Amino acid sequence: MFNKTRSLFFLISVIIGSLLFNACGAKTTPPASSETSATPKNKNITLVIPEDPPSFNAVIAYTGYDALAMKMVLLGMTGIDPDGNVYPELAAELPTLENGGVVQDETVKTMTVTWKMRKDIQWADGKPVTADDVIFTYKAITDPNTGNWIPGIDSVDSVDKIDDYTFKVSYNTISTSYLTLFGGEQVAIWPAHYCDAAQGFSAWDCGRKPLSDGPFVLDEWLQGDHLTFTKNMNYYQKGKPDIDKVTVKIVPDATVRKQMMINGDADINMWTNETITADLQKETNVKVSISPNERFVMRLFLNTAAKGTTDAQATPHPILSDVNVRQAIRMAIDADTISKQIFLGFSKPVWTEFFRPPYNQCNIARPKLDVEAAKALLEQAGWTDPNNTGTRECHGCKTGAPEGYKMEMQFITYKEYGEPILLTQQLIAEELAKIGIKLDLTTVEGSVLWADSSGGGIEQTGNFDIDLWDDGYAGTDPADFISQYYSEASITPDNGWNIARWDNADFNNLLADSSTLDTTKRQADFCQMAQILDKEVPMILLFTTIDADAYSTRLEGVQSTVNDVVTWNIADWKVVK
Amino acid sequence: MLTYILRRLFQTVGLLFLLSILLFGMVNLAPGGPLAGQGQSRHIAPEKAAILKRQFGLDKPLPVQYVIWLAGNDWMQVDTNGDGAPDGPGTRKGILRGDFGFSFRTRQPVLKEINLRLPNTIYLMSITFVLALALAIPIGILSATRQYSIFDIVATTFSFAGQALPEFWLGLIMILIFYAWLKNPITGAPLLPAGGMSSADGFVLSDRIIHLILPVTTGALGWIAWYSRFLRSSILEILPLDYLRTARAKGVPKNQVLYRHALSNALIPLVTLIALDLPYIFMGAVFIETIFAWPGMGRLYYQAAIDRDYPLLLAVLIIGAAFIILSNLIADILYAYLDPRVRYE
Repeated sequence: MFNKTRSLFFLISVIIGSLLFNACGAKTTPPASSETSATPKNKNITLVIPEDPPSFNAVIAYTGYDALAMKMVLLGMTGIDPDGNVYPELAAELPTLENGGVVQDETVKTMTVTWKMRKDIQWADGKPVTADDVIFTYKAITDPNTGNWIPGIDSVDSVDKIDDYTFKVSYNTISTSYLTLFGGEQVAIWPAHYCDAAQGFSAWDCGRKPLSDGPFVLDEWLQGDHLTFTKNMNYYQKGKPDIDKVTVKIVPDATVRKQMMINGDADINMWTNETITADLQKETNVKVSISPNERFVMRLFLNTAAKGTTDAQATPHPILSDVNVRQAIRMAIDADTISKQIFLGFSKPVWTEFFRPPYNQCNIARPKLDVEAAKALLEQAGWTDPNNTGTRECHGCKTGAPEGYKMEMQFITYKEYGEPILLTQQLIAEELAKIGIKLDLTTVEGSVLWADSSGGGIEQTGNFDIDLWDDGYAGTDPADFISQYYSEASITPDNGWNIARWDNADFNNLLADSSTLDTTKRQADFCQMAQILDKEVPMILLFTTIDADAYSTRLEGVQSTVNDVVTWNIADWKVVK
Repeated sequence: MLTYILRRLFQTVGLLFLLSILLFGMVNLAPGGPLAGQGQSRHIAPEKAAILKRQFGLDKPLPVQYVIWLAGNDWMQVDTNGDGAPDGPGTRKGILRGDFGFSFRTRQPVLKEINLRLPNTIYLMSITFVLALALAIPIGILSATRQYSIFDIVATTFSFAGQALPEFWLGLIMILIFYAWLKNPITGAPLLPAGGMSSADGFVLSDRIIHLILPVTTGALGWIAWYSRFLRSSILEILPLDYLRTARAKGVPKNQVLYRHALSNALIPLVTLIALDLPYIFMGAVFIETIFAWPGMGRLYYQAAIDRDYPLLLAVLIIGAAFIILSNLIADILYAYLDPRVRYE
């Protein structure tokens, strides 16, 4: 009896085992293509992201996941397409000098912008979206007790209603980014009749249970697990969206998200890194959309003030305060090899801040990789290695460093980016070692590197020599970003990010001069600024980092963009399988 | 005993107070800050940083921040609009009155955030814990009574493996096998889901069970290994003792000697160990919850630590500390209850 039972158990095990392993590794046969199939029955899709959105309000704590959710349910006055063009959403048209929507006073440097809104957009409860909602949003953001801050808001004196679908924004300066003040990737217009102003812009309940005027309506949010959305039947673009239901699943592990795409359990994987992008590109049922333009640039931040200080004039850095040293470092780094080997060729070389359209017309020659020239420059600058120790010393250097001061510095990066940035750090250290600069490698959390000075932030307190990380500006106007990184006003700790503590009067004048709506003049100013930066090297730009989103071949119309999150055009997506 | 329990509870209050100072200081003085993650760029704009500092209360000296965290600010005048002049009493009640503040990341009350996650963690961890005990105790007994048998050798090997394998690695391997490789022979779909609490809207029992298999198995393996090894050693220490030899000499049946006399004593230290592990049921497991996308306390804590979300981080730590102190007290009481030789006076 026992033997019979055991034999039966064995037989069943063998059958189950063979069935399972026959199925194991079997590729799912892709369904027929869209051309040959009828309309797909299942128009539900699943997005996977690693963490919950903090809310539907991307202004509060911009993580990207809040913007992803916000774009599905809320509209702004404008959006920015992947090529950097601003397009109207709630706006009926874009106000310009030419159409009379923008009026500027050149003498006192002020301007007013009159916005006309579409009249056919309604909230999900049927009430129209009007100028009252814009003014309500403006007042909520600028409420001194409970508000927040958005770029450009300090330039606004008032927002006044003209009629239900027209309002006027009065500026106390010439604002070059006026088109995205109430739009872009971060700002949406909130319903005045639905949100409770007393709860405050940052904490109001409608930030978690929004009333939609976008393509979808939030159905359910089970925190840490998923959010579900259904089609907004009141959406103003007739026939859109094509998708019936969207489930956003929270899947923290990147490997699991990748496998879900391969298994067909997810249709969108937001922000895939270089390795996962390369892996997913090999799958037949997955495509990867890579942004046509770049935003984030891997860069070296060089501190021209002595480590632990923030005044480069009073306490210059013993090594990096000499522009020849900074130029030599730039000459010795092989950005192309790093880009190819570590970033798998998804990066593009960058050597000027003005590389993104529309202000990418400057003719700045790419610096050459020349290790011998770098060595010669260091010799010329008084940094030599008389005892052949492999590390140069100050012998007649011009930075004020004592004779015999060794060319040794701390080189910091942040760990959240993962292995690629750590390998880049190591490779750069090896390359600089070849020209006699010894770097001590350190890795810290981003929150430590970028904290304010009271939080002991490494950069704000000037407690570093060289940092490596990636950054870039949102939107299409580089002015704020450039100002925060290079202007004199931003040198003071916690007053900006000029952590190089670099100060150049000509640059500051050009920056002030570039505050104009005359794009030709701006381009000219930016190009002069680019030349100064190229000569002075307060920062070394290396290459762009990837901005990509993976999507299932079930979908059409998905387009990754550095100017927004992947759901920027979700209303246009089509389910084809 | 009652006096002892009351004395311990009184001590607990003092201990928690000291812990609150220690934890508040450590969390706030740790390198980094909550503002770095709040910007649209890697850096936060200075204008936004100034507003957030005021709203988060980070513009005040640390001792003042501690007092407000502990006792609230509804009894003092505060400047809410940043103009330097007081605007009226604040709205915070402080943790002594059950107000743990709001999360810097979501701006929601901290207790609301915890309430959303705690049931999920208790759900997952208690099933894991019960399953681990249900398997570990028989394995431990059989290993001890059949020392050096094939069963014992296999159980010992698995125990060492169970203790040695890190959860984050084991979890990913489980997903690789049961989600990526093995398919349902009928539907061709993956044999088990990769994670999450459910794949359907609403609660469906079978769907929930399927979603529990991988996280529970991964979590239980370590506990099974640990408890079974512990019980095996404990029984092996007791079996040669004189009172059991006497029982056997008097003709008491073998099973009665084992289960009534040996096991009841061998389980005493295990019960203490289990009581000390109870806080895990409430605090969750970071790796399991992260890999299997289970929305529990472990992930909440990890995210709060990454974001330097001080109020949320402190609430989880203080509540965790309270659980640990309480479980220690339970362990001591249970020990006295189970072992008549132990008396607390």
